[in-house]
Amino acid sequence: MESESLWLGPMRKPVRLIMLAFVGVTALIYAWLVFNKIFVTDAIGMHEMIRPAEGGPIVTIMLYAILGSLLFAGLYLSDFKGDIEPEPDGFFDIFSLVTSRICMIMVALIVLVMFYEVISRYVFSRPTLWANELSLWIASFVFLLAGLYAMQQRSHIRIYVIYDMMPRWMQKASDALSTFLIVFFTFSLVWGGYNDAKTRALRMETFGTAWDPPLPGTVKAAILIVIILVTIQAISNLIADWNKLPEHHSGAEVDETEIAHLRETLEK
Amino acid sequence: MEFLELLAWMKVDSIATLSIILLAGMFFLLAIGMPLGFASAFLAVAVLIMKFGPELLYGSFGRGPLSVLGQAIYRQMTNYVLISVPLFIFMASLLERSGIAKDMYNSLSMWLSRTRGGIAIVTSLMAVLMAAMSGIIGGEVVLLGLIALPQMLRLGYNQNLAIGTICASGSLGTMIPPSIVLIMYGLVTETSIKSLFTAAFLPGFMLASFFIIYIIATTQIDKTKAPLPPDDPDAPRGTEKTLMFVGFLSKFFIWAGGALIVRNLFLTVTNQNAVEEGVDPIALGMVSDLPYLIGLVVISAALMFFVVGKERSKAGWEMGKGLVAPIVVIGVVLGSIYMGITGITEAAGMGAIAVFVIGTIRREMSFEIVWDSLMRTLKSTGTILWVTIGASALAAAYTLAGGPTYVANMIVAADMPTMSIILVMMLIFLIMGMFMDWIGIVLLIMPVFLPIVSKLPVEELGFLGHLDPQHVAIWFGVLFCMNMQVSFLSPPFGPAAFYLKSVAPSHITLIDIFRGFLPFILLQLLALTVMLTWPQIVTVFL
Repeated sequence: MESESLWLGPMRKPVRLIMLAFVGVTALIYAWLVFNKIFVTDAIGMHEMIRPAEGGPIVTIMLYAILGSLLFAGLYLSDFKGDIEPEPDGFFDIFSLVTSRICMIMVALIVLVMFYEVISRYVFSRPTLWANELSLWIASFVFLLAGLYAMQQRSHIRIYVIYDMMPRWMQKASDALSTFLIVFFTFSLVWGGYNDAKTRALRMETFGTAWDPPLPGTVKAAILIVIILVTIQAISNLIADWNKLPEHHSGAEVDETEIAHLRETLEK
Repeated sequence: MEFLELLAWMKVDSIATLSIILLAGMFFLLAIGMPLGFASAFLAVAVLIMKFGPELLYGSFGRGPLSVLGQAIYRQMTNYVLISVPLFIFMASLLERSGIAKDMYNSLSMWLSRTRGGIAIVTSLMAVLMAAMSGIIGGEVVLLGLIALPQMLRLGYNQNLAIGTICASGSLGTMIPPSIVLIMYGLVTETSIKSLFTAAFLPGFMLASFFIIYIIATTQIDKTKAPLPPDDPDAPRGTEKTLMFVGFLSKFFIWAGGALIVRNLFLTVTNQNAVEEGVDPIALGMVSDLPYLIGLVVISAALMFFVVGKERSKAGWEMGKGLVAPIVVIGVVLGSIYMGITGITEAAGMGAIAVFVIGTIRREMSFEIVWDSLMRTLKSTGTILWVTIGASALAAAYTLAGGPTYVANMIVAADMPTMSIILVMMLIFLIMGMFMDWIGIVLLIMPVFLPIVSKLPVEELGFLGHLDPQHVAIWFGVLFCMNMQVSFLSPPFGPAAFYLKSVAPSHITLIDIFRGFLPFILLQLLALTVMLTWPQIVTVFL
């Protein structure tokens, strides 16, 4: 993976080092926790993992290590442009790209969590209490942030039949109106949902299950925050696209890179 | 808050006016190219303003009826079944980048190389198998277009037949489980997704068999439509080939039976399959199933050694082994769902793992491929999920305003014949399908249409035989899927045509492609007619 740097430039190497350090620390603590879980009774388990107060400093360190790994992996990986991505050109694009990389890692994590759960339930007959809720928790963030990425990639579903026929000034006016209405929606959503999200976030309201993650406490607030981010991205798109030439859209979005990849696979 | 009083005129008293403004607003916003999800989200706010008036909504910061929007979104975000959507997309994009499809095609075409229209039949069969692996369309049409179209054109197949076969079969992904369309339909209408999958099985296979029968019939009537490939003197033929196929099957059943026996013994040893009152037996996992499994293996082994012969079986296995990977993937996904091992979501996760493992064994997986698949997954997830977010906000607001009930009552009171209401709905699906992705239709129109359908007199649905009232939602979902099949192909915006155009040789124009669709659209309409006249087709396996 040696391709041109998108935005880190000379910082790429240090960021990579920090990422590797965080991942290394995470892996070491994880190995230590698994070792304990196997050989020590009343070791730290998933229950304590989301309750640092009960699990002691090691849990706090582990949580920060995971956070650091995700953040720096996101920073590092966002420096590479994906084959299907256009050049980022808005002021907010890099932020969305970093979150998108973190989300991609989280999708893979969901798959692994499910795999672990299925194996432990059907092979070892020891279903976990936490796997379903953990995947739900991760997924809710993926769902939300995926919208930010889709906004940055301009891949939200739009109907272009009439839009393509408009002269450019009318397209600009339409885009401006769309963005204004998105801002208005976000304003209304935050206006109506602020108290609810705030109270739940302040008392870290939990899910009411055995593992009991603070799902409502975090996700309710995340909805408001991410929608604000998406709105900023929409404004950034509007500014970035203002002076672009009109594009033409065919009936179905066909992805040239995808076809190139497929041809490559088939000719192997 | 003086100025809010000035805006009091925004409050609308009659639900009819509100609905009309909503409809007009939707048309306007979509026409100016506003993203579908955000247009719905804004209209949700607009509906609330019209229902409650600005004063009540914006009178005090932080609360008020506007909070229903956040709650509706939260409900979607914490929906476990919804996780299957990104996982199925992930699995499909991994699958696309592995050589599994290509090998499957080669295997299938070897068996049918001496049959007239063989490649076209192979294309249909392959589409069915791929549809059973993942629930995505688009990619499938592109893939078939890359693999099968050049070969059919080289052999001198009729161009229309080739194009129609690829696109019509490639669209089957939504009909044959697991299908993302049915998952979303089940989520929106709170119907059991497993029942939807089971119900869609028969109509999906019926449609696929219509395609294959049409291919066989038309190539037999006009033999120039599908010339046979030049004869290869080394290739096995006739009974030899049949025997080899039997050899392949018996070898496959020995492996499959063996694996199931191992699983069964494992369950027995760990005592997971003890017969208990009130606990469903594990499919093929109970001790009483062992004799059948062993019998299967013994019969297959006998066939292999005494009837076919070892050498021939081996040759047959070589020809057929491209089919093994797809069957394993299908077994993992559908097996998990139907044998009660896991739910839809976990089945999708296991499918992704299965494809990844097979790809790794084939030495095709790399970090780049997985990363690229994850990127695609995230992009498509964002696209689909944010329509869901907007639409669920709108549905919540409109329901709060009493919209769906009002519309349902109005339609029922209009006293139109039941079947013509259904026909009008199907017409609306077709027209909407030209402009909108299926996801928009499911999320925006279903919450309005399904209450109407469930209020219609159930005994008037269908002409021959009738449905149970609890199956109406399932029938309507499958009917909707069948409608989507037609709109994938119907001019002028049928997406399948554009997907194929992007990989077809440049001399094939869009007009050519749509011309090739005609007979297949007729077949789809025939399948639709069957579903309308005999609605129990969906309940056969339920």
